[in-house]
Formats: sequence, structure tokens, C-alpha cells
Amino acid sequence: MQYNKILSLVFLCLLFTQPVFSQQDRVFSGIVTDQQDQAIPGVLVKVHGLNTGLVTDLEGKFTIHLPASKEVTLDFSFLGYKTYQEVIAASTNGKKLKIQLVEETTDLQEFTLLGKSELSEIRERAFNVEVVDARKLHHTNLDLGHALDRVSGVRVRESGGVGSRMNFSLNGFSGKQVKFFIDGIPMDDFGSSFQLNNIPINLAERIEVYKGVVPVGLGADALGGAVNIVTKNVRKNYVDASYSYGSFNTHRSVINTAFVAESGFTFQLNAFQNYSDNNYWVDVDVSDIETGKYYPNQRVRRFHDTYHNETVITQLGVQGKPYADKLLIGLTAGKNYSEVQTGARLVSVFGQWHRRGTLLMPTFKYQKRDLFTKGLDLNVNANYNFGSEQNIDTVNRRYNWFQQYKEYDVPGGERSYTLYKFNNNNAVFTANAHYNFGIHTFAISNVFNSFNRMGSDALNPENDKYEQPRKSQKNITGLSYQLNWEEKASVSAFTKIYKQTNYFTMSYNPTGDYGDVAYRNERENFTYPGYGITGSYFVTGNIQAKASFEKSYRLPEPEELFGDMVNLQGNLDLKPETSYNYNLGLSIWKQVNKDHRIDVSANGFYRDAKDFIRARLNNNQAMQVMDNLYSVTNIGVEGDIRWNYKSLLSAGANITYQDLRNNTEFEEGQTASSIVYRDRVPNMPYLFGNADASLMLQDAFGKGNDFNFGYNLLFVHAFYLYWPSLGAEKFDVPQQLSHDVNFTYTTGEKGRLQLIAECKNLLDSKHYDNFSLQKPGRSFSGKIRYFIY
Amino acid sequence: MKTNFNYLLAVAAAITVGFTSCNPTDDPEPDPGQSTAGSRYIIASTPTSSDGVADYLLTAESLTEGTVSTLGNGVEQDGTYRYYVTHKNKFFSMLYGQGNPGAVTTYELNAEGALEKLSDFQSETVQAFGAIDDDIVMVKISRSETNPFASWYRMDADQLQIVDEGTWNQEEIANSGERAFFSWVTQVGDKLFAPYFSIKACCNDTFGTNYPDSAWVAVFDYPSMELNTVIKDDRTSFLGRYFLSGLEVDEQGDAYGFSGSVASSNGEMTSTLPSAITRIKKETLAFDESYYFNVQELADDYYITANTYVGNGKFIVTMNKEKGAYTVGKRFGVADVYNKTFTWVTGSPAEASIVNVTINNYSAKDGLAYIGITTEDGSWVYEFNANTATATEGLKVEGGRITAISHLDPVE
Repeated sequence: MQYNKILSLVFLCLLFTQPVFSQQDRVFSGIVTDQQDQAIPGVLVKVHGLNTGLVTDLEGKFTIHLPASKEVTLDFSFLGYKTYQEVIAASTNGKKLKIQLVEETTDLQEFTLLGKSELSEIRERAFNVEVVDARKLHHTNLDLGHALDRVSGVRVRESGGVGSRMNFSLNGFSGKQVKFFIDGIPMDDFGSSFQLNNIPINLAERIEVYKGVVPVGLGADALGGAVNIVTKNVRKNYVDASYSYGSFNTHRSVINTAFVAESGFTFQLNAFQNYSDNNYWVDVDVSDIETGKYYPNQRVRRFHDTYHNETVITQLGVQGKPYADKLLIGLTAGKNYSEVQTGARLVSVFGQWHRRGTLLMPTFKYQKRDLFTKGLDLNVNANYNFGSEQNIDTVNRRYNWFQQYKEYDVPGGERSYTLYKFNNNNAVFTANAHYNFGIHTFAISNVFNSFNRMGSDALNPENDKYEQPRKSQKNITGLSYQLNWEEKASVSAFTKIYKQTNYFTMSYNPTGDYGDVAYRNERENFTYPGYGITGSYFVTGNIQAKASFEKSYRLPEPEELFGDMVNLQGNLDLKPETSYNYNLGLSIWKQVNKDHRIDVSANGFYRDAKDFIRARLNNNQAMQVMDNLYSVTNIGVEGDIRWNYKSLLSAGANITYQDLRNNTEFEEGQTASSIVYRDRVPNMPYLFGNADASLMLQDAFGKGNDFNFGYNLLFVHAFYLYWPSLGAEKFDVPQQLSHDVNFTYTTGEKGRLQLIAECKNLLDSKHYDNFSLQKPGRSFSGKIRYFIY
Repeated sequence: MKTNFNYLLAVAAAITVGFTSCNPTDDPEPDPGQSTAGSRYIIASTPTSSDGVADYLLTAESLTEGTVSTLGNGVEQDGTYRYYVTHKNKFFSMLYGQGNPGAVTTYELNAEGALEKLSDFQSETVQAFGAIDDDIVMVKISRSETNPFASWYRMDADQLQIVDEGTWNQEEIANSGERAFFSWVTQVGDKLFAPYFSIKACCNDTFGTNYPDSAWVAVFDYPSMELNTVIKDDRTSFLGRYFLSGLEVDEQGDAYGFSGSVASSNGEMTSTLPSAITRIKKETLAFDESYYFNVQELADDYYITANTYVGNGKFIVTMNKEKGAYTVGKRFGVADVYNKTFTWVTGSPAEASIVNVTINNYSAKDGLAYIGITTEDGSWVYEFNANTATATEGLKVEGGRITAISHLDPVE
């Protein structure tokens, strides 16, 4: 963790100018960490009763000389943490001390801003950014997607249970308009084995959600925002293992472990696994397998929805060397299996069709601060994905929800007879550098993506040659300048240059003779400039105002350009989507008195987006094709409030309202204004929120046995599936209210063992994120988590 | 171009009108374009928008005047792409589900003149469907190289369920190395006629063909659905086109085939023959060699894109100059297949101002056709009079394109 250097300097100056004692003859060394075992630099170590002490170094370590043969009490204090006292008996000598500080809401009002954690530092950036402290969710069974669902402005919609397709929306932008990063590396190309719906929250240290304006460092073509998942920055040995079992035969395990030698040699291993039958109950009209007649409202179990994935991330390298703060090479490997139970509607039911994905990705990470000169930081990452995806639909059957089927004795599939397997050969290279001198900071970043699809269908091995090449390269360069003024105000301007090059095949007639055909390789280049500005200002020490603006682009994805060989036809004429994004925010951190603290933040946003890439049917209506069809505006507000009472109680709520309006006045070929011009965009939640409360009973059952009770409420207002103004008899997605509760019991030395019980959808209400696709009812799970360090 | 209307269905609807208006004595001759007591025209409309699109079913008493809007009005249809067929005084709303099975919703007209939903039933996404006797026959035709089979379903329009089904091998039907893709299915006498075009179904040119200058009709016995024969004619290119009927039966029981001559290969138009009409005489299973009507020659080199039969050998044909496999015809003519005459229609919107023309249209076979036209300014139902070769603006439909025009009588 990164701490304010000023803070430590202040303490140093204030307190440690005196010479040390003369008759000291005992030497103690040690390390101070937080609950997550992260070293804390700058902790004040004070000898009780004596006006002496020191602060821990950058690695949280300290060495102190103490008078001999005398009982001494050491006070360890740091802003944001409870002061800890360690009594050192007169007889003890040369002991290695290991001190763990417990987080606390500080009551030192005047220091609130100085003692900020990295979390709040990021929150206070000029960007409209929300930071989720993932550590606080490590005891839950959430995957990243569900954790993000609790952030204001975010809605994560899913089509079913564990591992089901997720659609993420942020301030009205959805799907690929929002980009995901893991430690600053774009996640687009990681394949299905390493995605929001399967990465456990335990992998993350925190999640940063950038709304509307994305920093240059995350150099990507995000139209409406970005999510950066930051993993643990490991500095010492540890093992954190957990396993959970729950309803619908759901098993999840996570092992995060690291070995860091004195020399800086580092080995990191993260492994996780999810398995679920997803056989929850749904209410559906079941069709007669022969006649198609419906038996209405039957309660049946899902029967072909098993999902499992296994992923291992390994990294090997060094830390803390003169040539590198961090140099790691690694390999991420994984696979997943997912059965397809339904189509877009619950009545389309399948019993054999499934998908498989693999992931095999070498990775490279390099970080160096103060490279060559002080203030110059460099980050370089690269990876290449050899993974593949496959669609397996080779059983010519028609199923119904009673699991009956008709089988046809001719070749065919349930939807589309296929064994198509492809490999996108994605390469990503990112580099960014910051140079800070005085109040100025320059940053430059570059992200290069390469896509080269190779695929074939074992059922039809000849066909793919007509499709080669399918290559696409993206290169995004960002440049920014930031000016900081006395810690009070900050302003930054940036530009991003988006470049895309596509290689593809066109058929043509080489001779002009009837029926002759040949294929010619084509290449196309595009360049688009984007830009933005952000600013923040501390009105008082605990009130901050922010404003930001960006003109952003999202370049068409390779899949949209080249199709997916199953449902989607390519469209090489796609232009990027573009949007003007504006944000205005205000945050207040208020320590009401010693025990109560209230944080409030409110943001307003406006988006003016054009050329949305949307699916339409192709000419013969056999496949979908993506096209630039559609413009929208979105004006909205979101608010967040949190109240803390000591460390006993914490309660918070957030609410988002967004007014997403169709801004396409004239449809193609029309001179009359569209009937749905300025109508609310359908099938998009527009009022939603979360509320949560947690009660922490420390030492509830004797010392070291903590008990935590948590509650979360999710609310989504009903919305129409199609244009709200049209029609009298309409389809809608009803209001959703979900109550989740969890209990955590922490015990053992230094809280090593956690036992967690969780209940989701406590009232067993029916939930639909997407029309008619029912989500799981009440479910229970238990989890055991063990740390060793 | 989302819908097709088999004229037979219009005939069926018209016949049903006759039948269900039970007592001939209190059945006065209706004014054309005005519904008889309690009956309604059903208009399906799709908003001209690119996202979140659903069709709305509207009802209207008249097609010749007034305005009907989807704003706060109409029955929303689930799923963006739907097709409609009226048979036995029932209105079937079928989905086009991208290969997935889904619900077909059936409506009747109640005594108040409102659409009332009957029970849904499950069906497949199909590419051709038509009424035959008491059934609706639906055909799902594979276009993937790996699967040469088409599945057919026979749906009983009274029971509202599928009563029989089976498969056909489209490669065997074509018997040329390519694949037979039915443009439509039509009842001719007691048989099911399925005109088809030949497709490669492969090699990045799925709907291309190396046989651009032939017309074929696969003839199936009914209700066994066994292939009886395939008949062929080399005087025209294929009949109809994707999702569009090119075979219509007149009052004599003769079938007339319409070829737009729009075969392609690798994206180029390759048919060399003119757009023309041929005939299959009643109770024969061969093209009538003595009959050939070259429409393109009479129509200033325009070709036929779609047709609506209005009775007595007359068709309202939509025509276009520029060839294309899916082009919307924007000029209208009257083709008299008995006299082999062609007359341009006057009174329809200017060719350049037309955005879309409905292909699932209505005619009571009385010389009049009601065809939906969307111009830059909006959508209207036009009344086409085949006898005077004129078109008149009628009902305005606010809210988007007209995807189907049909007619229902109230159910007692």
C-alpha cells in the first residue's frame, strides 16, 4: 500500500529529533502489518512513557533499541488504525516482533485527509471513480460481477445461475462499451475461462470503477467507462484458502498463495474453481414434445445447465531490485465447460448443446519507480492468449422442460449443427510511463491489441479457408498532463489516439468469365482522436468537488467485424461508437463526533452518444449483423451515503436514476421524426439501488472470536422490454427486490479461520434480469476460509 | 421486407369471410376497404427504430381512411422479428427466432372488435409457411453446409398444435451438388408446391448459385408430404425469392409463377433471363410450355420483386429497376396474366420517396389490393385498383412500417 509520504515526514520531524538513549542494550526488530497482512510504512512506534520512538520504513519494518532489564510498553499508532500496545517484559531480549493493526475509523478529524488509504486516494482523484474495497467482501461467495452489482450506477444482468452470461451496464452503457482491466491490462481477450462471472472476489484487492472518463493509464477504447480489478500486491508469504458449498450443488474453491524470499524472489499462485449444476426451479410453460401445445405454469428444475471452470494463475519473478520494483513472468491457464439450457426465452430449451473454452496465456509484468531519474515511473505488461472457444451442438434433438425429447435420425443440432472451434490469438501489450516533477505530472501510455482468428469446424473442415485472413490490430496511445495545486486542486488534460487496422478477404471475379471466383486480401486503417479534461477541488478539508469530460471512442470488436461463425455475420464497414461524457460530483466526509462518521457523495452525469453498434438481421434474416444504428443521451444522478458507528455498525445505501433517451430523430430514409424519438430506451433498468448494513461484534465469544452479520438489499425498478410509449398490452420486466444475509465467524490466532454462512434471495422471490429468464430462488451456502502467514 | 403474404392465405381469409358470414341473407355486399359489421382489419406495425423493436398489432375498421397509431395502442408482440398468417379466421403471430424454438401466438377477433389471445403453442423458426386445407405447413430450411435437411411441420389450425412432422433432404431434391432452398410453399390442387432456388450453402457464398437460369418446383403429396416430383423450366430464373412467394393459383386452379431473375454468385447478379411469368396448368405436374409472359420487356426493363393477386387473372406487381436479391420494389404495375398485358399504376408515391413496401398485403380478390407503403413522410395503406391501374392513399399508420395487413371476422 502506498502511503502519504508527507505524513511520515511530519511525524519524523515532530517526534524523532531527539537522540536515543545511551544505556540501551536490547535491540528489537519487527514488522507492522494490517489485517490483510500488508506492511504499513510510517507507523509511529513509541516507547510508552518516554518521549521517544520512530516510524516504520517503507516495508513496514522497524528496529528499536530499548533499555535493558526494564518492562517497556510499545505503542503502535497509525491513522485509520487502532493503537496497539505491546508489552515487552524485562527479561525478553532480541525478539522479532510482528504487529498487526486493526483498521478503525479515525476520530482525528484534522488528519482525516492526510491519513488516507490508497482507496480514498483513488476516490479523491479528479475522475468520477468508485472504489470497491474487495477485502471487505472476501468472506462472501461473490464473483466479481456480483460484487460490482453493488456499486452505484452499475447494473449486472445475468441470464441464469453460476457461470451464466453477464451483461454489465454502467451509467446506461453496456456490453463492450465498458472495458474491463485486471491490474491495468485489458481483459477483452482472456476468453470465457477468466471473466466476471467466474473470477472470485478473493482475487481482487480492490475494484476501481471509472465512470464516463477513463484515465490515460488505462489506455483503451472504452465508450462509457472502465473497471479495473486490482489484485493483491504481495510482499510476503501467505496462504489464503477457501472452499464453499451451497445450493444447486455449487462448489467453489480459491487458493491464493505467495512466496517472497528475502532476496526479492517472488512466486505467486492463484487458483480458483467453480462448479454448479444450476438446477434451480423455474416456472415455465412446458410444450408438448410432439404437438407443441403448452402446459402452462409448470414448476420444473433446470436440467442442462452445469457449469464449471478451473483457472490457475502463476507468476514468478523478483521484487524490490534496483532494476525493477517488480518483474514477473507468468502463465494463466484454465478451462471451462458450460451447458446451454435456454435460448433468449425460457421456452427455447436445450438438452445437449454446450460450450467449452480454454485459456493458456503467458504473461509479463514489469514495474519500476524512479527509473533513471526520480519521479519517472514505468509499467510494462504483455500477454498472449493461445486459448480456444468451441461451440458443440451435434445432437439433433428437440427437448422440452419435462426433459423429454424427439430425436431426428439425420445430422443436425439443437440450434445449429456445429463443432466450430476457434482461437483468436490475442496479444496485448501495454506500456505506460509517468513523470512527476514538482506540481507537474506527464503520463504517456500505449495499448496494442492484436487479433488473428483461426478456426475450423470438424464437421466442415473446408470452409474456413474462405474466411482467411481475419486479423485486426488496435493501437491506442494516450498522453496526459496533470497539475496539482497545494493538495487542494488538481486539473488534468489528456488526449487519446485510436488506431485500428483490419485485414480480411474479399471475393472477386479475376477473369470476368462467368462463375469464376478468387479471393483477395484487403487491409483497412482507421484513426480517431479523443480527448478530455478533469478537475477536482477541495472546498474545505473534507468536501471535494469534481468535474470531468471526455470525448471517447469504442472501436468495433473483431467479433463484430468478422462475425462469430454461428449467429453473427461480420460487418467490415462498422465505424466506432462515440460519446461525449460529462460528470460532476461532490463528496463529503464528515466525522460527526468521536463515534459517528458519515460519508456522502453525489454525482450527476450526462452522456451524448452516437453511432451505437447494435444488432440487426442481415438481408436474408439468417444471422445477426452489427451496425451503427442509434444515438442516445443519458442524464442521470447517483448518490451514495454511508454511516459508521465506531467499528460496530456500518450502514450504507446507493441509488441511481438514469434517463436514457433515444436521440435518433430521423431513421434511415425518413423525413418525419421517429415515433420513439426522445422515448425512454427500453429494456434497460433506470432506477436501481443497493442498501447494506453490517454489525461487527469483536471478541463476541471470547477474545479473538469475532462475529459479523451482514445484510444486503438489491432493488431494481420495473422496466419495459420494448419502447414504453408504444402499445397498450405490453411486456415488462417486473420490480426486483433481493435480500441477502451472511454471518461470519472469525476465530483462531490472528483471525486465521473464518466460517461463513450465506443466504441469497432470502424471501425466495422470483427474479428476472432479462425477460422471462428466471434467476435462482433462495439459496444457501457455507464457506470456510483459512489464512496462513 | 419482413413478411410475405401468400395470396392463398388471402384467398383462404376471403373464403373464410364468406363462410363465417354464415347467413347469406343478412350479408350485404360490403363496401370495399370497409369492414363488415364487427369485422376488423389487422395491421401489424414495426417502429422505425433500430433498437428495442417489437411489432404491434392494430385493428382498424377501414383501410381507406383515418389514422391508427401505435402510441399507447396495440398489442405488443414479443421478439423483434415476427411473421403473420391468417387462416380459418385466426391470426397467427409467428416468431423468427434465429433458429430457436418459440411460442406462436394466435388471436381471434372478439365481438367488441378486439384481438383476443387463444392458447400459445410452440413452434420452430421457419423460412416458409402456407395454409393447406385445415393446416398450416411450416418448413425450416437449413442453410448450413453441414446439414442438408429441411424439417417440415404440419400444424392443425383448429387444434392449434403440430400434428405431423418430418424431414426432407434438400441436397437430394436439388440433385446438382447444390441445395434446394424453398422460396415458399403453396397449395396447388391437392398437392403442396414448393418453388425453390438453388444455393451453394458453402464457401462464403451461402446464397449464391452456379445455376442462375432455371426455375424449379418441388411437388409434395399431401398430407403424406412425400416428394412426388421436381419440375423444372429453363425459360426463367427461379420463382419467388427468399421468404417471398412466387407462385399463385387463380380461380381456374392454374398456378402462375413469378420470376424476378435475381440469382447471384459471389455477390454478383448472374441471371441472364428476363423477369417473366410462367404457368403450371391445373392438375398437371409440368410447366406449360405454351405459356410465357415476358414482363420485363413490357415494363421498361423493370423486374418483378413481389406480387399480390387481386382476382380474375390480375396481379398488382411491385417492380424495381436495379437488380438485387432482397431489393424492395418501389414502382407498381398491373400484370394481367390472361391477356399478357402490363400497365403502370398511377397515384402511388414517387419511386424515389418510397422507403419500404409491405409484402404481406390484403385483397378480397375483388380487383382491389391494400398494400402498405412507407415513404420519407410516414406509412399509409394504399388502395390499388387493378381495373383502373390507380392507387389511392388510405389509412395512415403512425409509428412505423406496416409489416402485414390482414382481415378477421368476429367470433360468435
